[in-house]
Amino acid sequence: MDQPKLSVILLSGELEKLQAGCLVGSVASMSGMEVNIFVTMEALRAFRKDVINARDFKTAGEVGREMLNKKVDLFYQLLENGKEMGNLRVFGCAMAMDLMGWQKEDLIDLFDDVIGVTAFLGKAAGSQVIVM
Amino acid sequence: MSEINITKTIDARGSYCPGPLMELVKAIKRGQVGDVYELLSGDSGSAKDVPEWVNKMGHELVYCKEDEGFWRIAVRKTK
Repeated sequence: MDQPKLSVILLSGELEKLQAGCLVGSVASMSGMEVNIFVTMEALRAFRKDVINARDFKTAGEVGREMLNKKVDLFYQLLENGKEMGNLRVFGCAMAMDLMGWQKEDLIDLFDDVIGVTAFLGKAAGSQVIVM
Repeated sequence: MSEINITKTIDARGSYCPGPLMELVKAIKRGQVGDVYELLSGDSGSAKDVPEWVNKMGHELVYCKEDEGFWRIAVRKTK
């Protein structure tokens, strides 16, 4: 039987959306699903090393602000756990990287590859898709 | 009732969802078949989420009970 598949497309740089998307992805991976995460647009900025070091995340409201105040594993840590305990891969969007002049080294060491949307659609074929 | 031998207790109180589940999954992944892990969680979602995960992955839920202000959930690794 084919492994059930989930695709998560992260667009938003808001902490709440990043957290929700990565939470669903990591738990799905721990529950035996194949998970592919595509990070694009403002979401990609939140995965830059300098942004993570400074905890310079945009928040939509009080839930996000409280998340930063309390000891909560943040979105990128959830993905690290999902990778460690299951079949989860993370892809950066080549278009956004080109547009912003960012290199793979600018991002935290979590990305399996930087790819275009055609390549991602190939990985996402036949999966449930969540867009955040 | 036969006695349950707890291999290890994982105290994940103070950790938010999905932290307690992640701690349990890590322990089960590294453990041996037959091991029983007891998870302590203050996150009320764990009482619903952990049994769901255990059922889905085919492990055995030994118990899931409320203690004073937190949950005790024991799981036997079956494969």
